[in-house]
Amino acid sequence: MMSFCRAVSVVPAPCAAGRDLARIVQINEEIKAIVALAFKINIMALNAIFLAKRAGSTALGFSVLSNELRVFSQDLKSAMAGLSGLIHQAVADVSVLLQDQRLVRLLEAAEMHSGGNERVREALRARQEKMQNHGAALARQRRQLQLVLANVAQLVELGGVLAKSAKIEAAYGQSFAPALAQVSGEFDGVVEAIRHSLGLLHKSEFFAQR
Amino acid sequence: MKATQCFFQDGEHKWLAIVRDPERPEALIDTNEYLVAYGGAGLLIDPGGAEVFPAVFSALSSEFDPAAIAGLFASHQDPDIISSLALWLEFNPKLPCYVSWLWASFIPHFGGSAESFVAIPDEGMAIDLNGLTLQAVPAHYLHSSGNFHLYDARAKVLFSGDVGAALLPAKSASLFVEDFDAHIRHAEAFHRRWMGSNEAKRAWCERVSRLDIDMLCPQHGAIYQGADVERFINWFDALRVGVAVG
Ligand SMILES: [Fe+2]
Ligand SMILES: [Fe+2]
Repeated sequence: MMSFCRAVSVVPAPCAAGRDLARIVQINEEIKAIVALAFKINIMALNAIFLAKRAGSTALGFSVLSNELRVFSQDLKSAMAGLSGLIHQAVADVSVLLQDQRLVRLLEAAEMHSGGNERVREALRARQEKMQNHGAALARQRRQLQLVLANVAQLVELGGVLAKSAKIEAAYGQSFAPALAQVSGEFDGVVEAIRHSLGLLHKSEFFAQR
Repeated sequence: MKATQCFFQDGEHKWLAIVRDPERPEALIDTNEYLVAYGGAGLLIDPGGAEVFPAVFSALSSEFDPAAIAGLFASHQDPDIISSLALWLEFNPKLPCYVSWLWASFIPHFGGSAESFVAIPDEGMAIDLNGLTLQAVPAHYLHSSGNFHLYDARAKVLFSGDVGAALLPAKSASLFVEDFDAHIRHAEAFHRRWMGSNEAKRAWCERVSRLDIDMLCPQHGAIYQGADVERFINWFDALRVGVAVG
């Protein structure tokens, strides 16, 4: 039968791998926030393209930049999808590691209480080796994630430049200038929000570990 | 630390009980694990939860070489029965685990692969332990829907899983039921709530009353022996089960 329901944890305080799961959840939230912002830029860029069309030849530069911002939003979206894939893999890796740690803890206790049973010691060694390999796989995963994050950061810099240029181009929009300025200001704001989320991702303790 | 006690011995044929763990975490229900040994090979019965594996392993090691365990028998799928499976398989990846076909694809959530399981059909089966024939006796819905007890006709021992279980006060140390009337008070609420079917209970009482049993060994609490075996079967037969308030 099952043990009676009590709100008591049998497991000791969460280990590093356990905390990693919480950090990954946080990373996932930031990824979702960035994807939502990318979607927002896409819609804004579409509107900007129509606005530039109405403004005619005076907003040609603005139109080109709006198109580029749309491409940027799509690139950002697919980069974040790649990051999501890596994060899911990291969840799997961390879960395997947590399982390893539990088995090692219980095998260690069995080895100790049984006065060093040889077969348990062997099983323990084999599990420790697996744990080490799984730990190394997770470390590779972390590095891969950092690389992708660095690429995303470059992409966002490009987005920032596009938004700034759109601001300048807006000034040439004659009677449409105020409307174009407002749109380009919004672009700038959203790119800034993306930069902020990206900064939080970079600072995640998940990447601080070796 | 758990204690291992031998309660049946006829030459190389032994039954060991691994019982009472005063050091187990408070949130875990106390369990009995059993080992039947014959000619140097052992079958470990309801090996227990993962968290008590170290205690079970070391208590067993003091009386029996764990490397001589030839198989595991799980009466049903509960975590207190078989969540230690992954650890036993770490110890010996080739150990077969006998379990109802109903649970053969559920228990791998605790560990093991398709090859780790020998699926017991609903009608039960004979299990050979180095020449000793043990019988998996159907006990479905008592309490699990795919549930088996294990009968050793030669030793006249019936392992009865959660049937006969009693949630005893921490100070009760005896391996055997000493005062049936006092003991059964600790079993009544458990059986009323955990056993789901009066029909299944009736069928079980009939089935096991035809067996020659000296000792009835539950997974929690104490062992019924001698006249207490029949006393228990009669008591269980008369009890209305499948009762929950709410
Ligand atoms: Fe159970
Ligand atoms: Fe149980």
